[in-house]
Amino acid sequence: MNIKGCYEAFGGDYDDVLARLSKEERVEKYILRFLDDQSFVQLKAALAEGNTELAFRAAHTLKGVAQNLSLTPIYEMDFELTETLRNYNSVDMDLAKAQFEKTQEAYNKVIEAIKAYKES
Amino acid sequence: MSIDEELISRHTILIVDDGDINRDMLSDILSDEYNILEASNGIQCLQILAKERSRISAVLLDINMPEMGGFEVLEYMKKEDWIEDIPVIMISAENDIYFIKRAYNLGASDYINRPFDADLVKKRVRNTIMLYAKQRTLQRLVAKEILANVKTNSLMVSVLAHIVEFRNRESSDHISHVKSLTYMLLKALERRDPSYRLTPEDEYIISTASALHDIGKIAIDDEILNKPGKLTSDEYDAMKEHAMQGYTILENVPDIKNEELIRIAKEICRWHHERYDGGGYPDGLRGEEIPISAQIVSIADVYDALTSERCYKKAFDHETAMKMILDGECGTFNPKLLRCLQDIEYILQDRDRLRKTAEAGLTEIAERLIDSAGRDLYSRR
Repeated sequence: MNIKGCYEAFGGDYDDVLARLSKEERVEKYILRFLDDQSFVQLKAALAEGNTELAFRAAHTLKGVAQNLSLTPIYEMDFELTETLRNYNSVDMDLAKAQFEKTQEAYNKVIEAIKAYKES
Repeated sequence: MSIDEELISRHTILIVDDGDINRDMLSDILSDEYNILEASNGIQCLQILAKERSRISAVLLDINMPEMGGFEVLEYMKKEDWIEDIPVIMISAENDIYFIKRAYNLGASDYINRPFDADLVKKRVRNTIMLYAKQRTLQRLVAKEILANVKTNSLMVSVLAHIVEFRNRESSDHISHVKSLTYMLLKALERRDPSYRLTPEDEYIISTASALHDIGKIAIDDEILNKPGKLTSDEYDAMKEHAMQGYTILENVPDIKNEELIRIAKEICRWHHERYDGGGYPDGLRGEEIPISAQIVSIADVYDALTSERCYKKAFDHETAMKMILDGECGTFNPKLLRCLQDIEYILQDRDRLRKTAEAGLTEIAERLIDSAGRDLYSRR
């Protein structure tokens, strides 16, 4: 599988990311780095603890990374979660949890595809 | 950095973002053209700026970060005036117009939305840095020009004053001493009575112009000017003419009438022998009719005349001179200014220290004025 195939597998926009980062090697480098990115892990932990401020920051950072790497499914789900968490002193937790579930699904899908690419 | 060096050398950029991947990506994109420093939150960013800002050409700044966010960094940079010299480019996933406006209002130079394009980031960083480098270059050129002008001006003033002094055969440091006293009295007055609203620029101009107070003596006969012993009443009347003569000489110099320095010098020449009760000459002005510049120079002039040896008298010591002035033996002065004279008594007897203190104060004002003139001329705001 090439990188384009990897992007197709998780529903990301490869042409967009290549146009912006200009080199295939650069896309590859950061896609692989994303496997170790801690923002999703932090988001999950913060939500579990009910620390909405930390959760907001982590969701926000994850959104930025997803956007820059054109990880479209994560970006779309996490975008909504970030907005729900933005006023972290009065968060609708049921809504946040539902949106987190969707973000997690998208995240897992992306991670699986990248792992498959890495192994191939 | 010299002007040319600044435009061609390798610049250093500080990248501030809490996301490792984001930071590395930017660093990756920019590191072939720039030296890169990194910070992962606002506090680290300010710590680096506090130490290294002189070598940082631009900051790339994220908005949402732990510990301290991008807006707080901007606020701090604005408060410390760093934002004037270091351009900040925001890089953020916040595409809401409110965020973008707020960033610009706090002094950011540019705002790049995520997801960013590698080429565009490079181009925008390069443009911003070049703009600032050119601005700094122009600021320095302007400051250099102004400094040269100021130096030439005060050099010419002092040449002029010394010609008169030479003809008077007065002690050669009367002029510089009056200038130092004038400056110290101005400072004392500023502390005592802010209602005079003396700006640093006023202080600089009045002190510089004080050197010209006796310029009218150039028109007084040599025999009268340098007569040992007491003058006859006619001779004294002729001598008094120097005040009006100084004013007229400056009034008749073409093309410089609107110069503030000349305007103040004219006040000082004409009215530095007026007295607060109306008992002085040539116009018999009283109280605050006498411009504050002339009031101050008259006290400085009298104190120095008393404590110096002249062709017609010996020098009085400090205590005697103070007593004579306070007792009204040399005419009536503004009581506020008498208190100012007492305020600076501690330094009056140490002429060296007086001169050094005044010189340091005036140099500092000149540098500040030049600096702000350079900024004003090429300000972004």
